[in-house]
Formats: sequence, structure tokens, C-alpha cells
Amino acid sequence: MPASLRSRSFVIMALLPALLIFIIFAIVPIFWSAYYGFFEWKGLGAAKLIGLDNYRMILEDPVFWRALKNNLILVVSAVIGQVSVALLLSLFLLKNTMFNRLMRSAVFLPMVLSTVVVGLIWGYIYHPQIGLLNQLLETLGLESWRRPWLDDPKINMFAVSIPINWANIGPYLIIFIAALQNISSEIEDAAKIDGAVAWRKLFFVTLPIIWGTVVVTIVLCISGSLKAFDHVIVMTRGGPAQSTELLATYMYNNTFTVYRYGYGSAVSTMIILISAVLIGLNHIITKRRG
Amino acid sequence: MKKRFVFITTIILMIALLATACNNSGNKEQSNEGNKSSEEKTKISIWHNFAGDDLRAKAVRDLIDKYKEEHPEVEVDAQAIPVDGYRQRLSTVAAANEMPDVFFVYAGSQSQEFYDADKLQPITELMDKYPEWKNNFLAGAFDRYEFEKGQIFTAPLGMSATSFMYYNKDLFEKHSVKVPTTWEEMMTAIKTFNDNGITPIALGNKAPWVAQSTIIGSLADRVTGTEWFLKAAAQDGASFTDPVFIDALGKYKELVDNKAFQDGANSIDNTQAEQYFIQGKAAMMINGAWSLTNLAASATPEQLAPIEVTTMPGIEGGAGKPNTISGGAGAGFALNKNTKGAQKQAALDLIYAVSGPDGQKAIAESNSMVMYKVELDKSKVSPLYFKAYELAVNSEITPVYDAYLSAEAGEVINNGLQELMMGGKPEDVAKKLQDAQARSTKK
Repeated sequence: MPASLRSRSFVIMALLPALLIFIIFAIVPIFWSAYYGFFEWKGLGAAKLIGLDNYRMILEDPVFWRALKNNLILVVSAVIGQVSVALLLSLFLLKNTMFNRLMRSAVFLPMVLSTVVVGLIWGYIYHPQIGLLNQLLETLGLESWRRPWLDDPKINMFAVSIPINWANIGPYLIIFIAALQNISSEIEDAAKIDGAVAWRKLFFVTLPIIWGTVVVTIVLCISGSLKAFDHVIVMTRGGPAQSTELLATYMYNNTFTVYRYGYGSAVSTMIILISAVLIGLNHIITKRRG
Repeated sequence: MKKRFVFITTIILMIALLATACNNSGNKEQSNEGNKSSEEKTKISIWHNFAGDDLRAKAVRDLIDKYKEEHPEVEVDAQAIPVDGYRQRLSTVAAANEMPDVFFVYAGSQSQEFYDADKLQPITELMDKYPEWKNNFLAGAFDRYEFEKGQIFTAPLGMSATSFMYYNKDLFEKHSVKVPTTWEEMMTAIKTFNDNGITPIALGNKAPWVAQSTIIGSLADRVTGTEWFLKAAAQDGASFTDPVFIDALGKYKELVDNKAFQDGANSIDNTQAEQYFIQGKAAMMINGAWSLTNLAASATPEQLAPIEVTTMPGIEGGAGKPNTISGGAGAGFALNKNTKGAQKQAALDLIYAVSGPDGQKAIAESNSMVMYKVELDKSKVSPLYFKAYELAVNSEITPVYDAYLSAEAGEVINNGLQELMMGGKPEDVAKKLQDAQARSTKK
């Protein structure tokens, strides 16, 4: 029996059910929705084959490009606001002291909250009349800085990205702390003996060692930001006037608010293509540097 | 050998699993049929969205329960589905052709799409059976449900009156402002309140249908007249790029430019705006009948005391009439195309039990508007609701925009109004609306 347990075919057999479920519920729908993308379909009644028209309309819709731009803003802000901040924090919070453990839990806490709760909390913080932020500015005498934070199209995308970053730093922090703790003390000692000062040690010893982890977190971060949806739906619903629309909310609104299932399917196919391109780019860039 | 054995057992296990999963559904159907023949009970199913705790939802659920009690020979499978997911769930079962016998449908694009997809059958025979009931409905009650001439598909359970102008009497008296009945007076009121640091009109337009449903329907109707709108919606002889509609949007922009609404109106939701108004921070609020229920549920009697309700001011020189309210028949129960025989009879009886005279009265007494002549018992409803009800019954009803526009065009005007509040131009919004409506009406 032990021999057969270790055998290849058994492993394959054991994985097969999970793989089947994954293929049926994750892979097949991707192709399915790509297929629906060729139809004009309301979700009810007959679907009409219209070839590439949906894709053409997407590319011609300025809202789609705005959504893409907003998503890219989110990606950049996430890489800066989540990965860099988490990396920085992890360097400070590495040692296992009481204070550090407390800080780590504090940073991780919003991750445990439901995204709807996070969205609602920040909705109230940003509230134009009774919001915490505007009240705070007023008490500080900065009345002229009061803004309808989620309303003004010049700033609302940035206002939206702050809670998203705030809520997502936690897991990256944990990943980085784990990676840093894996660096063996011999390397640290060797660096010390060679006389490396703190920042040199960081750039020439620590970072290169955990570079693999950094790349993984960036990939996670990009795909996470491209999927961003829930916080925005709760805070702004992609509005006002579609100014905070993301690819995912654009897809959702087209499919479930105006019942253009075919168009929505085409949008989701576009999201997959864009994600693939971005992650491919990331791969090329980080490989060269690594 | 052993490898082979493991391989075969796994395969068999998997097939067995799949097979049982598939079989389950088959079994159920069989047992269903078995039941019917042995017990002779008629089974019908009904779906609705009265899942909440508000008075109206309770009233409707009570009506269904009463029907169940009075008809022991019918087994009613009633499903209350929360409002937020209701539309999607109904569309899903419609696509799979597994709709319940009786279901709650909204006026406008939803029921139209079900009709187009051949999912509905008329309830005209029920109407003919109780002519007095039929005649007691208010004018226009069936306008959106007569998909074929002479055939009625739904008896509306409520009236959606969407554009009452609520105002705070105390604030008007304190600053000696006249309650506006003309556009000019409206502008004066806005200016006076702004000068005194009070928001003139509370608006929570985060979910962008609010400004469209509550304000633009009434406002534009006063400028363009109803006839023009119906033509433009049908894309027959009028277009949303007509100067008259750009004028109407211009009136809305005039409100925005004169700071009629509080800052950031596009980022707070309707409930927050209602709270803002009831706390006396805003002098007026243009909102639908639903605010009556919300305010009754959340405000104190002292807060409610100074609240009055009227219609939006008229617009001099406009083609439309003053003193109208935008609104129309609300949602109602519809009958599945595939329901036949004894089930159909039971389903029709159930529809009558809920939307018949007793049902309409029960619903009206739960403080919600109905499209039906009811002798209201004043002691059973709130005073504000009573005023609003009288106002609605005695006013002419004009169309709500999104009940006549396609879903897509509705979304365009929703977003367009937000755009106007962010500095957009009426011409651009009108053009986008025209494009969207033209796209959806072309066959």
C-alpha cells in the first residue's frame, strides 16, 4: 500500500476531483463568458450574435478608459501604499516585542472587518456635512480644506484608494515579516563583519534575499487591485457620474443594472486580458532586476 | 494490481457522487406528482419581496397568510425574498423557465421584458369577474400593464408617487419665506435660506436614481409637458436633444448653480438626506412616498410636527401643468404563462386576496400609497401620510422618467444628472440620453 500511496497516479487521482471542480467553476466560465461576449443579450429572451461589436463598443466607450485609468491609479497606489508601507512597517516591527505584536494586530485588524463595514466607516469619515475628516479640519481651523471627498471628481479616486490600502496592508505585512525572519542570522553577522551600515545592509543584503517575496506580493497586489470592487461599490457605487468607476464596477453595472449581459461578459473578458498583460509586464520587469 | 484497484474505486466513487447529485432533482419531481394525486391538494407558489419588517410588508404577508387559512385545499409555497436581490433572482429563474406561479413584478422595463419573453399571462378574467374592483382603481393604474389591447396583466399593489415636496413649516416661518408655488418664488426661497446658512433642499443622490425619480420627472414635465415626453420616450416625433428638454435640464442646473442642494449631495444616500432634513438642517426635500414610511419609522413626533407636504412649484411659460406629481402604478402580482387549470384558479384567487379591495385597504392603512379608491380611516394612519395621500389622489399624475426609458437610458439620465451637478453641460447629457434611448428602441 505505501508504494501505491506514493505513486504518481494516486496523486493525480486524489487531485482530480478538486481539479474538476476548479475547471468547471473557474476555468470554463471564463471561456463561457468570452463566448457570451459575442452576443447582444439581456439575460432574458433570445441572444443575437453580433460578433466583435461588443468589444468595439467597449473600446469606444470613454467610461471604459476612465475605469481602466482608475484601476491603474489603484494599482500604483496599492504598490506604494500597500507593498512599500508593509515592507517598511515589517522592518520596524520585526522583533517580537509586546508593542510590536500589538502594532501588527492593529495593522491587520481592518483585514478582518468585512469590506462593507470598512466602506461604511470611511463613508462616514468622508461625509460632506457630519464626516469626521471635515469636522477635524474645521476644528484645526482649516475650514478652506473642507471637501466633499467622495464627490469631487478631481480627488475622489484618491479618497477611495486610501481605505482600500488601509484595509489591505495586513496580509503583506505578515508575508514580509515571515520572509525577513527566514533570513539566517549568519548572513546578518557576515554583513555586520563586513561593516555594512543599516541602509546598505537593507539594499544589498536584505532586499535581494527577499526579492522573490516582493515580486509575489506585487503580483498579488496588482491582481487584487484589478479585482477591486466591494469597497468602491459601498462608498460611491462607481459614481458620481461614473467618476470612480472601476473595470469591475463597470462590468457589474452594465450586467446587473442595465441588463446588458453580453456587453458585461465582453467587459469581463477584457479584464482578464488586461490582467494577463499587466502581470506579464510585471514578470518581465522584476525578472530583469532580480 | 492494487494501483488499478484504487483507480477503479475512485472512478466509481466519483461517478456515484455525480449520479446521486443529478438524481436528486428527478426524485423530487416524482414525489411532487405523487402527492398531488393522493391528497388532491392544489400546489401554487408565490414570490414577493415583502421580506422586511415595515408595516407594508407585514400587511402583505398577513394577506397571504389569511388566504392560506381560508383555503386549506390549496398549498401555498410563499417565498419572501429581500428587495435587493429580488430582481436578479426573478430574472435568473425566468431565464431557466422555472418561475413561480405568481410573482411580484415592477412596472416598466421589468414587466415589459417578461412580457416580451412570453412569461406572463393576463389576469383580465379576474378583472371581469369583479368589475367593481376594477373600476375603483385610479386613472392610469393599468397603463403600464396593458401589453395587449384590452388585456390587463397585473393589478398594481401600490402607487409610486415620487415627487412630493416636503417642507419644514417652522423654518419657512422663522425666515419669513413664502412656500414657493412658482419658479421665481423657489429661487427667492433658495437664496434666503442660503443667506441664513440653511440648506434649501436636502438631496442624497449617491444612488443616482434619486434626483431622476424625484426631481427631474416633475421638473421636466412642467417645462416640456407630458405629451412631449411620451413621444420622446417612444422616439416618435420628439427627441431628447430638442431645445425644450435642454431647457428642462437647464432648470435643474439652475437649482445646482444656486446651491439649492447641500454640498456633496452625490456622495450621501437618500436615507442620510432624509435625516438631514428631519433634523431641521434643510428647509425642503423633494422625495417620494417612501420617505413617509422612513420618516414615520425614524423621526420623533416633535421632529415630524412642522413637516408639511405639497407639490413642486410650477414653471411659468412651461408646456406642462403645475400641481402635478410624478408617479404611476407600482408593482403588482403577475401570473405565470405556464400556470393552468386548478392551479391557475387558485393563483387568481390568491392575487385577488392580496390585491383586491380588502388588500388595498390593508396596504393603504399601513401608510403606503395605493392606486385605488380607499375610504381611509384617519385614525389608523399618520397625519403626514394622510395629507400626502389626499394630495396624490387629487393631483394629476405625470410619468416618472425611468418607468418609460429603457434600463440603459435610465442609467444614462441618472448619471447625467450627477454630471450636471459636477459642472456638465445640459446639451451633452441630452445627447447621451437621446443616443441611449434611440439604441434601445430600435428593433
